[in-house]
Amino acid sequence: MRQSHTAVVARNETWSGDVATEPYEVAWAGEAMMFLRVLEPPDGPPGARLRVQVSPDGMRWCDEGSTLELPVDPDVPTFVRLRRFGGWLRLAGHLPDGVRAKVIAYLVLKE
Amino acid sequence: MSRPSTPTGAVPHAANPRLARFDPLERVLYFDDFDGGTRGWTAHIGNYEGSLDTLLTPYADLRPAQLSNLTMWDVGSMGAMDGTYALKLATRPVPGHMAILIKRQTWREMADVRFEAYLAYKPEPAELVLGELDVRAFGVGFDLQDDETRWMPQYRFLNAEGGRPAAGDVTDQARRATPRGKWQQRDATSAFHTIGGTGRTVSHWHLADEGWHDVPGGQQVMCYNEIPTKVNWFYLRVDLDLRRRRVTRLQCNDLVMGAEPLEFIAFAAMPNLRGMLNAFLWVQTDTAKRAFLYVDSVVLSTGGAA
Repeated sequence: MRQSHTAVVARNETWSGDVATEPYEVAWAGEAMMFLRVLEPPDGPPGARLRVQVSPDGMRWCDEGSTLELPVDPDVPTFVRLRRFGGWLRLAGHLPDGVRAKVIAYLVLKE
Repeated sequence: MSRPSTPTGAVPHAANPRLARFDPLERVLYFDDFDGGTRGWTAHIGNYEGSLDTLLTPYADLRPAQLSNLTMWDVGSMGAMDGTYALKLATRPVPGHMAILIKRQTWREMADVRFEAYLAYKPEPAELVLGELDVRAFGVGFDLQDDETRWMPQYRFLNAEGGRPAAGDVTDQARRATPRGKWQQRDATSAFHTIGGTGRTVSHWHLADEGWHDVPGGQQVMCYNEIPTKVNWFYLRVDLDLRRRRVTRLQCNDLVMGAEPLEFIAFAAMPNLRGMLNAFLWVQTDTAKRAFLYVDSVVLSTGGAA
């Protein structure tokens, strides 16, 4: 049976401006989904996007190419599917002026 | 300092060489090697009601469990002591921040309980310097309840605080001076707070920086090694007697403590917790660098029941 694990990489964090989740080690996993949920309707206009980033060492980051939209409805998370990501993953980005969101972010990993 | 014991007599784990680095009691309740996942070790969280905003502040941002192959920026992957993966606790790069992982269990019977683990602690190698004083502390604790009492033995190795070693000198190659840390214990938790509005939920912060006392004979020189990417594993053991409500031994490699009674927090039994046998591990950073605690393996065993 394949191993699987869900990590809550951000919980009840209020995001504005430059944001990044803490580095998370994923070397054992072959695939991942990143889910982002707002715990309350966010302030500001919709459409803000976050970037998936990868890293060789957990300290220096580059864009993986995938992006994820900040959701607007607390009951409807957004997600992105990922493969071939190496040893670390995180979500990073810049929320435009006036955008402010209380979020919970999940990494759903599978061998 | 007394000498550590050596196994004698029948060795029930002889058929399993991977258990041979431990000294378990008769019944192994769990043997966690993290090559097979996080094995029930999960992020600690405080109690809340209605909203996560009701969490006490120290519980709001404890970090999740990770599985690490100990990849270092300079030499690549080290792997665990046994196999590829270790359980990893990582703080934020914020002075005083803490990561805590917990495994929740219940006792089958009032008996002796032995916790053993192989661990390693390191700061994130964000600077090309020694960094031996970057990690403030790591620790091991238990949350236990019988019919009368909830009791929480908690022991930390205080490595450094405010950039100073917890005991002894700072590193000085010319004088061969090595910093020492010290084991500490506590006998009281912080105040209980009512959480939410129903009166059914309370919370208390049991790992505050205040209230720690030195364990007699508890100063120790750890093998930090000489740069942040060189990682050495060490052995940690705690012996509990659930029947007499005693902690009979705290051991880190060759340092054995417990000749004088070890302290623990104790208060009246609480609703819904009878039989609890939780174990937790934590790490705390002293600087604006992440602190890591790697756990290769854990064995919790019991024995001696009447």
